[in-house]
Amino acid sequence: MIPYELIVLFRVMPKPELTTAIKRTANAIFDRGGLIRKLENLGTRETPYKISSNGMPHRQASYFLYECNIPPSKIGDIINEYSRDVDIIKKDIYKKTIPEQFECTLHEEMQPPPYRKDVQEIMALARRKEKRKFKANTGMDYYPFQK
Amino acid sequence: MNTLLIQRLIPKMPLRYIIRSASTDADVPNFDMENPFEKEKPQCILCKHKIVVDYKNIRLLSQFQSSYTGQIYGRHITGLCKKQQELLETEIKKAQNSGMMGFYTKEPIFLQDPELYDVERPIRPHRF
Repeated sequence: MIPYELIVLFRVMPKPELTTAIKRTANAIFDRGGLIRKLENLGTRETPYKISSNGMPHRQASYFLYECNIPPSKIGDIINEYSRDVDIIKKDIYKKTIPEQFECTLHEEMQPPPYRKDVQEIMALARRKEKRKFKANTGMDYYPFQK
Repeated sequence: MNTLLIQRLIPKMPLRYIIRSASTDADVPNFDMENPFEKEKPQCILCKHKIVVDYKNIRLLSQFQSSYTGQIYGRHITGLCKKQQELLETEIKKAQNSGMMGFYTKEPIFLQDPELYDVERPIRPHRF
């Protein structure tokens, strides 16, 4: 099972209602053979933009982060169930990314264009596309006919 | 030989170069050695401090966003390397789509954050 990060925005409601809503969303994952590794409360705050859902505009939301492992075939199912939930304003699921190691290439990018590798590739491509010029083979160093 | 003069000269060069050149003939310079005066390679600010860009860290992400239009600044302004800029842009888009960060707006509490780069003095000239 692939680790996912699920971000759910609940509408602002009193605590007992919110706990039941969280339990409901968590049970949806458990029912489909998933497991939750971490559940984090990111706070109740104003949303950066107005979100319309369930026939109501929302300007505030409770943010919750679920770190969970879900079978990939069930994700569409879970999203479908959440979209029918009245208390959920917005939900988004992302694969948990593992930071990869890489070297900083800024010193190469700071070089003048002809020294840069990507520019060199473009220049080579332009050279390859150059049209071949027709050679008359008249043995003369000038064009003998009227142009 | 003037030992005082040598003592003054030596500390500028790393010790390993001096030992290697003296191994065969003391008077012949070692032409194979790497350039001792080579400059340190410049690194972008995220690579230098080994910062991993995450879509939940909105405060960091909004530092690469215009406070007027919410536009993500390009590589020529932010001064990041290609890979970091690519990662940053994907993470900002993730944050925007999940309702953590605005598309056109910056949170007012982030407006006083320190500037990591000068918008008016880009590395390469602006398109506009």
